[in-house]
Amino acid sequence: MKTIRYASVVFSTAVFLIMSAGAVYADNTDTRKVIECYESRQEGSPVTRRDIEPGWPNVKCSSTSEGVLWWGDPFDGTIPMGDMPIEADYSRGEAVVRPRIPYIDRNKLYTICTEACHNGQYVPVPESKKPRLLKMHKDIVPNSLDLQHGRGGIWCLDCHNAENRATLVDNFGGEISFNQPQKLCGKCHGPIYRDWRDGIHGKRIGMWDKAGKKRWWVCTECHNPHDVQQGDRNSGFAQLPPEMAPELPKGMPNVDHERLEHGAGH
Amino acid sequence: MSKPKDKDGKNTGTTRRDFLRKAGYAGAAALAGSATLMANTDNPDSQATWAEWFQGNYRLMTDQEKKEAIERLEKRYSAQYGKKVTVDDAPAIDGVLFGYALNIQKCIGCRRCVKACVKENNQSRTNTEIEWIRVIRMEKGQFSLEDMDKGYPAEAGFDHGVQVGGNAYKPAGVVLEGQHYYQPKKVPEKDAFYFPIACMQCEKPPCVKVCPVRTTYRDPDGIVVIDYNWCIGCRMCIGACPYWARRFNWGEPNLPKEEMNPKTHYLGNRPRMKGVAEKCTFCIQRSRRGRYTACVEVCPVGARKFGNLLDPESEVRRILARKRVFRLKADLNTYPKFFYFID
Ligand code: HEC
Ligand code: HEC
Ligand code: HEC
Repeated sequence: MKTIRYASVVFSTAVFLIMSAGAVYADNTDTRKVIECYESRQEGSPVTRRDIEPGWPNVKCSSTSEGVLWWGDPFDGTIPMGDMPIEADYSRGEAVVRPRIPYIDRNKLYTICTEACHNGQYVPVPESKKPRLLKMHKDIVPNSLDLQHGRGGIWCLDCHNAENRATLVDNFGGEISFNQPQKLCGKCHGPIYRDWRDGIHGKRIGMWDKAGKKRWWVCTECHNPHDVQQGDRNSGFAQLPPEMAPELPKGMPNVDHERLEHGAGH
Repeated sequence: MSKPKDKDGKNTGTTRRDFLRKAGYAGAAALAGSATLMANTDNPDSQATWAEWFQGNYRLMTDQEKKEAIERLEKRYSAQYGKKVTVDDAPAIDGVLFGYALNIQKCIGCRRCVKACVKENNQSRTNTEIEWIRVIRMEKGQFSLEDMDKGYPAEAGFDHGVQVGGNAYKPAGVVLEGQHYYQPKKVPEKDAFYFPIACMQCEKPPCVKVCPVRTTYRDPDGIVVIDYNWCIGCRMCIGACPYWARRFNWGEPNLPKEEMNPKTHYLGNRPRMKGVAEKCTFCIQRSRRGRYTACVEVCPVGARKFGNLLDPESEVRRILARKRVFRLKADLNTYPKFFYFID
């Protein structure tokens, strides 16, 4: 009699465990299909999941972090990287990038504001590069006198083209497309730019062979040019939510077990 | 448990583990009957199972045998997962030795590589969840005045007289203090750094040395592979690996149909069975077709680099030439093809 009751308790506990386990696991198997996710920069590199062939999506998104987890087509939505001033890998292999302008134009800032606002009349071309307090663009740069890039050493117009707001500016006052921010950043970050050209800094996806087609990540897909300090963190890369931790091994009751039982300095 | 040999050293039979177990239950005669039945059935699963009992070690199979094995598997998996599944058998590319470099300074511990790997490589999702990459969180050490008099071991009680002078240390992140199960809201955390590990694709792999059936071996492009069909589940390789890279399918793998990646390789991400070992293969189904591995592609900070070690202009070679590089447990003389570096 006793054994039977015991068995049924065991049984119902087992059922409960299996059910609750199911609930926990569900998170890992991507039942919640996330359609809008981001690549590297949480605000600044959006991508929409869609099928490029039946059952074969362009990307798979994480239901935990909403970051991209997998590329079905590494070249989806890319354009040729365009000419670069310095001979490097891209002169041999096929190099493509995802254009930045569609993102910058998400609120029609690019198409409308560069023409209708920064046309030299409505907003006059500034006479000097002296930093001043700006009333506009507080969503992008909350305090223009405290730009979180360059520690007081640089100003909007070291990057943005005073004559043509639809472009960035190079060292000679020439225009740089928003799709090629590396040319801009390379002005001041020489060593990093060199590493980037050689595929060490930043990243590429696609084919590993040097002659193979690659998508190159441009600088602003990872760095927010208006905040490369991230407050006290002093880091050019913003924090991200992590993916789920692995399952705990059997017999390990909680996450802190390692630390509490086997302690620091163990 | 390799195939038994007769006096001349020829294979005599079909004694795979399943076979023995079933033989034990049913008796040889009954088995012969059911075997005939299975071989004649239309069910691609039982057809493949039956044929696999007679299948040789992948390395010893003729091209024809490989072709047949692959056709069987494609049929079986396509039926099982309800979509067209391909099984590649691309061999190593001439003049290519794969290498990997990971920028330990950039890694933020987000685990996207871990999950990308699972999506690409068809690991069991739940109830033994299998992940090939582990990211270990290390605490950044510090020295503090308050700890000046705290001895080591701290509360043991019998350490009087052992501790001489000041101690003052907090975990320095260099010994056994790695944490696997961290789950903060955002990474990287202050005072932590992260250390991802997976198969190091050793040049002298201890796992290959111990495998009693030689089902795991190193291909000319440096990838250590496993023929799952010959794995007997002894788990010697798991014990031998100094990098904790191998995982074991304790149960029937749990891979939902819609999650299954239909582009597979025989020695890589094809669905596994219960009782076999598995590990990272540098995404053999991708890398041998020229594509970057899934983890390289997904890393949001670009910490992961992959390429041909024999090409001086590859990313990995440039890193070896220009950056400060180390290999994990180099003292074991395993000669990993996986390098860690800092800027
Ligand atoms: C270090 C160079 C740099 C500096 C300095 C800089 N910007 Fe930018 N800015 C950029 C780049 C590059 C982009 C394009 C960003 C992208 O690709 O996401 C941009 C984009 C913008 C945009 C459109 C962005 C959007 O997401 O809608 C505005 C508005 C802007 N900057 C305003 C400013 C203002 C105002 C200042 C000065 C207070 C400033 N920027 C300083 C480089 C810079
Ligand atoms: C006009 C020169 C200039 C340009 C153009 C420029 N930067 Fe900077 N950048 C600086 C300076 C100055 C610093 C400050 C370094 C320091 O903290 O002392 C800096 C700092 C940084 C940092 C943080 C560095 C660190 O060590 O913490 C990052 C990341 C960065 N820049 C990225 C970029 C990117 C991406 C671009 C292109 C969109 C860019 N920069 C364009 C001048 C520039
Ligand atoms: C794939 C993402 C990615 C891309 C693309 C990228 N970076 Fe970075 N960059 C990082 C990360 C991550 C760090 C490290 C941030 C930290 O240490 O907090 C970094 C650091 C930096 C730093 C600080 C110096 C250092 O070594 O810590 C500078 C400057 C910088 N990047 C400039 C650039 C420039 C210029 C480009 C384009 C030519 C670029 N980055 C492209 C991810 C990227």
